[in-house]
Amino acid sequence: MPLAWMPLEALTEEIMDLLNVKNLSVGYYDRFKQIVPAVNDVSFQLQQGETLGIVGESGCGKSTLARALMGYCRPGSLIMDGEVRINNLNILQMNSLELLKLRGERIAMVPQNPLSSLTYHIKVGPQVDEILRIHQGMDSRSARNHTLELFSGTNLTDPELIYDRYPHEISGGQRQRVVIAGALACQPAIMILDEPTTALDTTTEMQVLQLVKELRKKRNMALVYITHDLTLTDYICEDVLVMLNGSVVEKGSVKRIFKVPQTDYAKMLISSIPRVDSENGSSSFRLLVPDREPLLSVKNLKFRYGRHGSLFATFKPKKEPFVVNNVSFDLERSETVGLVGESGSGKSTIANIICGLLSATSGDINFDRQSINKAGEKRSLDLRRRIQIIFQDPLSSLNPRHRIETILSRPLKIFFGLKGRVARDRMVELLESMELVPDHLSRFPRQLSGGQQQRIAIACAFAAKPDLILCDEVTSALDVSVQAKVLELLKAIQTKTGVACVFISHDLGVVKQVANRVIVLQKGVVAEAGFTKDVFAKPKDEYTQLLLAAASRQNDAPIPIHNLGDIQI
Amino acid sequence: MSNKSVLDVLTHSPGTSIGVFLVAIHLLSALFGFLFVPYGPTELAGVSLLAPGSPGFSLGTDVIGRDYLTRLVLGGRTSIFVAMLGVMIAVVSGGLIGVSAAYIGGFYDDVIMRLVDIKLSIPGILFVALCVVGFGRSIPVLTIVIAINYMPGALRIIRSQAMTQVPLDYVKSARLRGDSKLSVIVRELCPNVLEVVVVEFAIRTSSAILAVSALSFLGLGISPPTPDWGLMVYEGIQQIYFAPWLVLFPAFLISTLVIGLNFATDGLANALGLDAARGLD
Repeated sequence: MPLAWMPLEALTEEIMDLLNVKNLSVGYYDRFKQIVPAVNDVSFQLQQGETLGIVGESGCGKSTLARALMGYCRPGSLIMDGEVRINNLNILQMNSLELLKLRGERIAMVPQNPLSSLTYHIKVGPQVDEILRIHQGMDSRSARNHTLELFSGTNLTDPELIYDRYPHEISGGQRQRVVIAGALACQPAIMILDEPTTALDTTTEMQVLQLVKELRKKRNMALVYITHDLTLTDYICEDVLVMLNGSVVEKGSVKRIFKVPQTDYAKMLISSIPRVDSENGSSSFRLLVPDREPLLSVKNLKFRYGRHGSLFATFKPKKEPFVVNNVSFDLERSETVGLVGESGSGKSTIANIICGLLSATSGDINFDRQSINKAGEKRSLDLRRRIQIIFQDPLSSLNPRHRIETILSRPLKIFFGLKGRVARDRMVELLESMELVPDHLSRFPRQLSGGQQQRIAIACAFAAKPDLILCDEVTSALDVSVQAKVLELLKAIQTKTGVACVFISHDLGVVKQVANRVIVLQKGVVAEAGFTKDVFAKPKDEYTQLLLAAASRQNDAPIPIHNLGDIQI
Repeated sequence: MSNKSVLDVLTHSPGTSIGVFLVAIHLLSALFGFLFVPYGPTELAGVSLLAPGSPGFSLGTDVIGRDYLTRLVLGGRTSIFVAMLGVMIAVVSGGLIGVSAAYIGGFYDDVIMRLVDIKLSIPGILFVALCVVGFGRSIPVLTIVIAINYMPGALRIIRSQAMTQVPLDYVKSARLRGDSKLSVIVRELCPNVLEVVVVEFAIRTSSAILAVSALSFLGLGISPPTPDWGLMVYEGIQQIYFAPWLVLFPAFLISTLVIGLNFATDGLANALGLDAARGLD
């Protein structure tokens, strides 16, 4: 229809942007009451049915931006400049009543952690009901029916059952679906998803993403998808904004950015994504010619949690299931083995048994021809020195009350009796190998960034000059770019010292990059084992295939939902 | 807390500032008051029961003619000392036992926690009174009894704080490098429960000061002729109809001290606790 024939309202409707952000700047007050900008002069438009990804490292201002789109400022922050218009109404000038009406009905948000966005002590169904009662004025019966419809619309199996569950009684994936159902309740025109899948594991993440994609298509919503993971935007968005330190550094269609990134930062982001499907799965981690004699050999390892040590233990005769069941593998010197699996598959338990935090229920572990079945406290000093572990969360593995100097000095003193000058020289050397400066010695862990903390944790493990190092999800808590840096440093120090490494991760891309061989675990049982190249190229086991498919979202391969049915989500 | 000065914490809110001010005045007068008082605390300086404003006795005298101002200034010393020392012993020993119970766990933890439960089921004032009657009325006995009375509560709170630290990876690392239990408890865990220990100390001190005053009032605490507010209230109560100031002044001082401590603690707990929760410290 030619423009001139359209009624006036329709005409303006056509020209108006659904969401128009113009020169938006948001700042935070620092401790000197000065405003520090967190979002800097951001502008973009969004039309009905469009999808926009916002990508950047943590701290780049993407969540602050998302909140500003809802007209919300965190305490201590301030919208400095600019406007956010939804259907041409500037929401930054609305009063709280108008905003209340707007939120949920025109624009809705799905936050990162579904456990903290649902109220603990209220069943999930009534929580969604409440939205409908308040915004749509429904009575409780029709609200309930509508909620059940929403639940089935978000592919929750058995909505009636879920309706009466408390948030902690359903899985992470189900929780996020409930939150999405809540966001959809009033049929908003715009939905903002703030890292909705970060707290989920790969397979669940995939299902949630697929759901979001379908729902968007069905309801023709506009979508703002915030993530630190560039690959996700490729799966779900048409356009993307790349943010760095609060400013938009690159803007355009996803396809274009992946093909021809223009800024250095975007190039760096793309190149630091560990690919499952990359051809030259970096060989730099592969090392030397491995020895014949295995350094570590694990045979028929079984483990289950007992209920020992409590006065009341005897009253509970129920046997726990095996967390690790009949796992066997060998590790040669200077070799890296990847342990892969979803959360709960027993990979961390294996690491804890090898390093002596837990004792195996049955099975044999041999390290350099001596049996190490006993728990950590009973092992010799030398043995403790030779096996070191690096944990997932660096903030928890470094005592928050100790300076880095104190933390690093402990292993040096205990294992080598180093003190004073000598110890300090060695610490500086260790820091330098991790590309940190001696200045950091006088800091507390909280004064360092996540990547620096993890590097300290690595330095601390290597301070003992170990023969075997267990890396338990060492990069999961880090951003992609930081992750690449940490992996690179880890690789360098491993090459230099020639230690063997058990690398535990749920991230197949990372494992592919570092491991010579992989062991895929499913519910405590080895699903598949072999050389990384072979397993990744031709996975034999169905579970491995699923994991790989979920990991290579790059390919946009849809996963048949029914296949995932038997995996715990 | 590293980025936050002590002054910031103490002036966290107006309430805190008032509390800190009150506590500071009381502590100063308890420590240095003896330098400024006109008479000795037990000196029979004047006529019995002079009214406030009499020449030479600005707050009058008590029944047997001792200067009331002197006794009021010095009347907090003993109970503050007994309460603080007692609570310090309670918090330090309770803290160490609590942290060790959290770390070692198992049977040891169970036994300790059941003992704590038993102790907590006995009313505090009854327990203290019985002990004082049994072991005699002296300052060492009172201090130790106060310590025992306040230990289980502090132990339980500090244990629960330590429980949040025990599963963290730095504790595992310490175990793996072969640190002894004592070393893990003292080096790794104790610094991380320090905030709670400080707050516990402050809270329990105010309650202990009240308890000591109450005991003195009942004739079970500090013995005459030592000047003590609780005791002075007791001694003044017989004259309350014609010399009410004898009761009102010491009662007012007890209240200001306890209120001051409560306000200061509240602010302190808020300043420390909120920062910990926000992960900003």
